Amino acid sequence: MARRRRPRRSRRSLTIVLLVLASITIITLDYRGGGHGAISAVKRAAHDTFSPVQRGVDAVVRPIGSFFAGAVHYGALQQQNAKLRAEIGDLERRVLEGSATRQELEQLEQLEHLPWIDGIQTVTGEVVGLNTSNFAATIQLNVGTSSGVDEGMPVVGGAGLVGQVIEAWKSGSTVRLVTDPRFAVSVRFGSPAGYALALGEGVSKALAVQYVAPGASLHRGEVLMTSGLQNASFPSDIPVATITSFSSTPSSTQEAVSAKPVADLPALQYVDVMLWYPGQ
Amino acid sequence: MTTADVSRSTIVVFVLFAIQYTLLDSVRVLGAHPDIMLLLPVSAGYVGGPERGAVFGFAGGLVADLFLPTTFGLSALVGCLLGYGVGLATEGLVRSSWWLPVVVAAAATATGLVAYAILGSLLGEPKQLTVFLTPALSVATPAAAILAIPVLRLVAWAVPPAPSRAHQVGSIR
Repeated sequence: MARRRRPRRSRRSLTIVLLVLASITIITLDYRGGGHGAISAVKRAAHDTFSPVQRGVDAVVRPIGSFFAGAVHYGALQQQNAKLRAEIGDLERRVLEGSATRQELEQLEQLEHLPWIDGIQTVTGEVVGLNTSNFAATIQLNVGTSSGVDEGMPVVGGAGLVGQVIEAWKSGSTVRLVTDPRFAVSVRFGSPAGYALALGEGVSKALAVQYVAPGASLHRGEVLMTSGLQNASFPSDIPVATITSFSSTPSSTQEAVSAKPVADLPALQYVDVMLWYPGQ
Repeated sequence: MTTADVSRSTIVVFVLFAIQYTLLDSVRVLGAHPDIMLLLPVSAGYVGGPERGAVFGFAGGLVADLFLPTTFGLSALVGCLLGYGVGLATEGLVRSSWWLPVVVAAAATATGLVAYAILGSLLGEPKQLTVFLTPALSVATPAAAILAIPVLRLVAWAVPPAPSRAHQVGSIR
């Protein structure tokens, strides 16, 4: 009996050792970027292959899910509808009030040669998936390389910055949201301009703003814009977040600042991918 | 494993992946969703033993990693260790209780999530432990308990029972 058990145990041990070594090798290749090209190509091919299946299932499941969601949340939907109508009316009024200000600003821009995102081509995409991983804050769009979308491109929606494209295949792309802990963007605030770094802290959490000197002139509700400094990852002047709180102690080396993303991330349905490369 | 076993295993891996990617990813509570891909190595280890659990965990993890924005290979490593560990831990258990696979699935899923977060932290993403782990545990662990029996039956269709458990087939299927 003992002789028959040993070969099985040896084979079992060998199998797990080989699989663990293979896993560690793959992780090392991805982590160091050595196999990045090959791994990215395989992932793109996988996405391209599976996208039709995902769209087909989504086409069947989404109406069913929406029906039940609507039935359950009918009362809340009615209230939300009324609230949105009121907000639209308010926005229409502000557009009219802002038109005079915009004309004045356009004249100033011509004098100052300020870079504007209005001059950047965009591709509109629909959000077709959320957080494929429980350990990342991402969304999936239905526009990809066939529409000109590529890795590193900024994504905006609603009132400001949504995130950055991290993967792109023919018919879709993955966007890392501003709330993802691996997301960081250089921002500016105040006048004269101060510069800081806004970092994601997790889904539905405020951004942490670092490298703000203690006692810096800050205001609650102040909008942080992308700085667009040389070789920045984002064009300048895209609204990122509004300051919600700031504090410091006598011994602290920087102000503890929190900011709420301006884009309504939980309610995203359509976003614009800016066809712009970092460092452009 | 015969060719038929390999074919059935391939079908099971892709069916579970399709369910995860197209349906379960949309089920969102506290920003997290159920993770049926962790149940694959758990079920394979429970039914087929540590070796088969490790192989299924590696294969299923690689398939999942193709579509995840996190480090490629991490799910494969966690999956093969999880499948192996469940296979070893449940090898000598008498399977007369209906709740045993449910408890094993929940405990193993929680262990897998913690292992994933720890390994992710070691690879330079400490926020996986501090930010994402708690919501993931809160949602994926009870979901694993609910989905344990159907997933186990599906995997048992594809995975031949481990030689030491051939006499217990009736209690699994």
